[in-house]
Amino acid sequence: MHRRLAWLLLAPALLFIALLFMAPVLALLAGAFRIDGAWALSPLITFFDEPLHREVYWRTLRIAGLATLTSALVCYPAALAMVRVPPPWRGLLTGLVILPLMVSPIARTYSWIVLLGRNGFFNALLQGLGLSDEPLKLLFTEGAVFVGLLQLMMPLMLLSLVSALENLPADVLAAAATLGANRWQAFAKVVLPLTQEGLIVGGTLVFTGCVTAYITPALLGGPQVLMLETLLYQKVNVMSDPASASVIAVLLLVTTLMVNQLLKRVSK
Amino acid sequence: MNSPLLARVGLAFVLGSVLGALPLVAQSQSQSQSQSRSLVVSTYGFNGDLLKKHVYDPFKAQCKCDLVIETGNVAERLAKLEARRANPVVDLIQMPDFTALEASNKGLLQPIALAKLKNLGEVYDFGRDPLRNQQAVANTVYLVGLVVRSDKPASASVTSWKDLWRPELKGHLMLANITGNQGLATLFMADKAWGGLATDLSTGIGKIAAIKGNVVTFYTQTAQMTALFAQDEAWVAPVGRFAWPNLKKTGKPLKWVVPKEGQLGVMNVLAIPKGAKNADLTEQLIDFWLSRDVQTALANDLVDSPINRNARPRADALDGLTFGAEQIDSLTFMKPDMVVRERAGWVNQWNRMISTR
Amino acid sequence: MLVLALVFLLGPFIVVFVAGFSGDDTLRFPPQQFSLRWLIQVFTVEAFQRSFVTSIVVALGSTLLALALGVPVAYALSRFRLPGAEAVRLLLTLPLIVPGIIVGLALLNHGVLALNLPVTLSLLIGHTTLLIPYAVRVVSSSLANLRVDIDDAAVTLGATRLQAFFKVVLPNIRGGVAAAFVLAFITSFNQVPVSLFLTGPGVSTLPIEMMAYMETSYDPSIAALSTLLVVFTIVLVAGTEKLLGISKYL
Repeated sequence: MHRRLAWLLLAPALLFIALLFMAPVLALLAGAFRIDGAWALSPLITFFDEPLHREVYWRTLRIAGLATLTSALVCYPAALAMVRVPPPWRGLLTGLVILPLMVSPIARTYSWIVLLGRNGFFNALLQGLGLSDEPLKLLFTEGAVFVGLLQLMMPLMLLSLVSALENLPADVLAAAATLGANRWQAFAKVVLPLTQEGLIVGGTLVFTGCVTAYITPALLGGPQVLMLETLLYQKVNVMSDPASASVIAVLLLVTTLMVNQLLKRVSK
Repeated sequence: MNSPLLARVGLAFVLGSVLGALPLVAQSQSQSQSQSRSLVVSTYGFNGDLLKKHVYDPFKAQCKCDLVIETGNVAERLAKLEARRANPVVDLIQMPDFTALEASNKGLLQPIALAKLKNLGEVYDFGRDPLRNQQAVANTVYLVGLVVRSDKPASASVTSWKDLWRPELKGHLMLANITGNQGLATLFMADKAWGGLATDLSTGIGKIAAIKGNVVTFYTQTAQMTALFAQDEAWVAPVGRFAWPNLKKTGKPLKWVVPKEGQLGVMNVLAIPKGAKNADLTEQLIDFWLSRDVQTALANDLVDSPINRNARPRADALDGLTFGAEQIDSLTFMKPDMVVRERAGWVNQWNRMISTR
Repeated sequence: MLVLALVFLLGPFIVVFVAGFSGDDTLRFPPQQFSLRWLIQVFTVEAFQRSFVTSIVVALGSTLLALALGVPVAYALSRFRLPGAEAVRLLLTLPLIVPGIIVGLALLNHGVLALNLPVTLSLLIGHTTLLIPYAVRVVSSSLANLRVDIDDAAVTLGATRLQAFFKVVLPNIRGGVAAAFVLAFITSFNQVPVSLFLTGPGVSTLPIEMMAYMETSYDPSIAALSTLLVVFTIVLVAGTEKLLGISKYL
């Protein structure tokens, strides 16, 4: 009885996604994996034969991984601080955190172009502080893409963590302290396990967002900092090669699933 | 069974579907209201308001029909053309000549009744049937030349494509990425300037790869290119003529350079998707677009350079146009069939050399 | 750390905001003169007007549909021990992982054309599939910390499951649902890759029109439009906050 009820609740959503999402997507992706009339996974392997592909893949993993890690490190303290803020102010803070999400990615990316440019804010700051004599090339580097993606994705991590932390009973940390734990132990052994769901969700969202981002890496990095998604777009738009694009899409899927599993194990 | 719950789930589903159906109803209502014939034109997003003024509105008045304009970049519009081949929505599509050839090779275009075009005789020879299969007519030619900062000694003295390789320009040179038309043009002219064979452009790619450390970036969007000029990042870049008015608005001291090796001409063509329903009306629109008056008006506002040799742009507009026998005759064109054949290979080679360390 | 994070997150927005008030002809920072002209001009661009309405309709429709489909899922997953729950969760995460451009192309080729769907409806479907994961996740988060025995207790006291849901569970996850609504709405509104292939002549969404605009013109319109959209969303969120008090739950 209960089981049937549960499946009934799940059915509409599952059917919707199965028919209107999975079916078309599988139909498209499958096209790339049919070799000589038979199914084969070899395109995934042969993808890495090309040195360019290897470099692009590694670069994408690196930048996305770093962005995920950094966002976790920055957002945990930030989230901990945020949950201690009383309600009226908390609403305002939450609003401020969501605000960047509402600004179109194009506008945000162009503002980074302005900020990181030769005559931009950061170069002016560096020169003003005497750290550099002449403008540094900040744009069109992996660093620029990293910063752009971090700013794009961080609200997702922050909100995930806040959501997980706020349902943590307030006295948990106090109790841990009473039992002799220092701040770090309290965090690692109490807070982290209890909020792992938030970390997993946030981490997956950030990582996925980074590897599937297009506008930001394309405009902030340029063709010399080619990322997986940009390559995918090229295959679809410029080369009219959806088969290659499908291989990349499957690769992205597999990678993200692996990272998701990794996060689950790490936070246990 | 738990009928109240079923009812709730069902209610939620129905509610959601009704809300989802509302826009559908709204759309179909607006469709049934338009009684007159309607043409769908797929074109670039540039100068939409000026095209409206000189082409769309006058034609609408003349034919008592409606025009719906679909804009976007070439790649997406081609992808949509291909996706909708069984039931084309678009009546007239404007794209570069080699893209039209790509479309034609895929069987996406139908022949235009060239005999019906009264103004075709006034079109330059190279524009009348550029694909040699009657499936496209050029409606404009634009050239790719160089834009330089006139106040920086290193860039102000640039007079040829080869000058782009000067070491003094390091860090201030901007090139176009191969994924765009200006990139192809750059590659072609680089190959030509350095004595390549013009059949496989490998000389050009090699030369560009050699200076990849000198460039600010390889731009992919025109607005990005304009932004980088406006922020003093770039001092010199290959630019399509249509972007020149926007560049002038940045207020930076810029000048247009006609390089010694010449400029590359790119034709934009008009074509009719196969199976499109209003071919007769569309052919009238093409004829209208090619007419002397329309071509002159578009030229005067610096929208497009005329393909009609009898257009008479104002003297003060000539600076922003490709016009006159001397200029037209000096243009180099890429062969569309070569582009279609080799482009994928060029992009791969380019990526390999530019994107790897 | 919180302050640093906020500065980092909001910095670029300040740039956009200020640039929107620029009086220059092209996008320049800092602007040389200030004026409201671009903010006003944005309202007159027909493409922006039409696509704004389309974006709102699609965002609203797909968000409501996603919630209608997703809230039951969140409830089922948190209240019942199901074999295959992991698989279900995975399936529901897929729309987030598959690159938007692939989804768009797939829906165009194998969905829209196969079933001959009108443009707006296909946009609605495409967006809804993307939003269901958000709806499920955010509401799940909220449900996770709501004690299971609450609705069991209600049932023991004589309520049916349905009554228990509406009278006990829903009020407690109200904030979660509202948060999911806000997040989903914003996601749909800003969505680009999927919409790219699904739009057709005459029907387009605002972000796509903005992108198309940016490919050709380089002026403060985009900054102005972005600023206006943010103000609009602030009003939306503030309104929801006043009505439902979601700040505790976000």
